[in-house]
Amino acid sequence: MTERFIISGRLDGSLLPWIDGHARRIGVAVDFGPRSDSAMELRVDGPPALLDAMEMGCLLGPIDVWIEDIRREPV
Amino acid sequence: MSVTMQDHWYPVALASGLRRSARDTLLLGRAIRVALDDGGAPVVTAEGRALPVQVKFGHVWTTLGVPAGDVFDIPEADQPGRRLVEVGSVKVRCSPLRAVENFLDIAHFPFVHTDVLGSEPHTEVERYEVEIRDDVDEVWATKVKFFQPQAARSAQGGITTEYMYRVPGPTCSVLYKTCPPRPGEWDVITLFVQPLTETTCEVWPWMALFDDDSTMTEMIHFQQLIFLQDRSILENQLPALLPLDPGREIPTRADMLSIAYRRWLKRHGYTFGAQLVAA
Ligand SMILES: [Fe+2]
Repeated sequence: MTERFIISGRLDGSLLPWIDGHARRIGVAVDFGPRSDSAMELRVDGPPALLDAMEMGCLLGPIDVWIEDIRREPV
Repeated sequence: MSVTMQDHWYPVALASGLRRSARDTLLLGRAIRVALDDGGAPVVTAEGRALPVQVKFGHVWTTLGVPAGDVFDIPEADQPGRRLVEVGSVKVRCSPLRAVENFLDIAHFPFVHTDVLGSEPHTEVERYEVEIRDDVDEVWATKVKFFQPQAARSAQGGITTEYMYRVPGPTCSVLYKTCPPRPGEWDVITLFVQPLTETTCEVWPWMALFDDDSTMTEMIHFQQLIFLQDRSILENQLPALLPLDPGREIPTRADMLSIAYRRWLKRHGYTFGAQLVAA
């Protein structure tokens, strides 16, 4: 199952490498889409429970980043 | 001016347990003294300075800062017919934030409170809802459902219990649980945590229950049994401080409430007892 994650917040800092590492730990595939300091898009591919886990992990996020919201859409 | 952890109210004693001799304790790392004045009213001081005092839910509450209002309310606790259970306190060698986070961990029932609040193979947590109520700035989880072999002293046999969780302050949590003898009402089980230092706390559980059968001693013992199971877990958690990022953890949907609590702490800068470097 593939979904688009639209992440908003204060996204400067270590977010990209962190997402990469967390996706690897969980076992989902991630493609990075367009991004700015306040929004970014990901395509996440994996079983539904792992997509949920990816959302939970990203919501907390790395310590130097604030994730305001994650919107999920089917691709 | 933003509200800091200093500006919140914290429990520091049971009102019924106060004696003329003072209780010397800590609050957020600072020495405080809880005593009774000549008229028998509780007084709290820090280095001789009198701190604000309120008595609520059987406990004495104080604050080191400037509180935005009174100690939060639990309207259900005022309903007639409830038994108010003062459990006393348990000192725990863990971060005060960890004590609350463990209380909010829905998935731990079958593993930590085996055959009392949960049992294998009933370990699945159904989807529940979490929100931040902006008007009161509280974290709430609703529609939490769990199969429990014995959800309360008054429960006979296994039942599916519904819960609501509420975080009205950085170190306080209120659990509302369906009440076997009174369908439609909620039992109230609280965890009030006094932050002593960043890695030690004193936990003051308090309950307001509909239970006409159990003795007060039985209700206190039931709660103490449950909390002692938690304490052994809490004192062995590493790191001692509560991480505000997932680190090596892989939180799942069942951990949504813990995530919401930690996000709320992070957003407000409520970090006494939190780990501020990457986990
Ligand atoms: Fe527990």
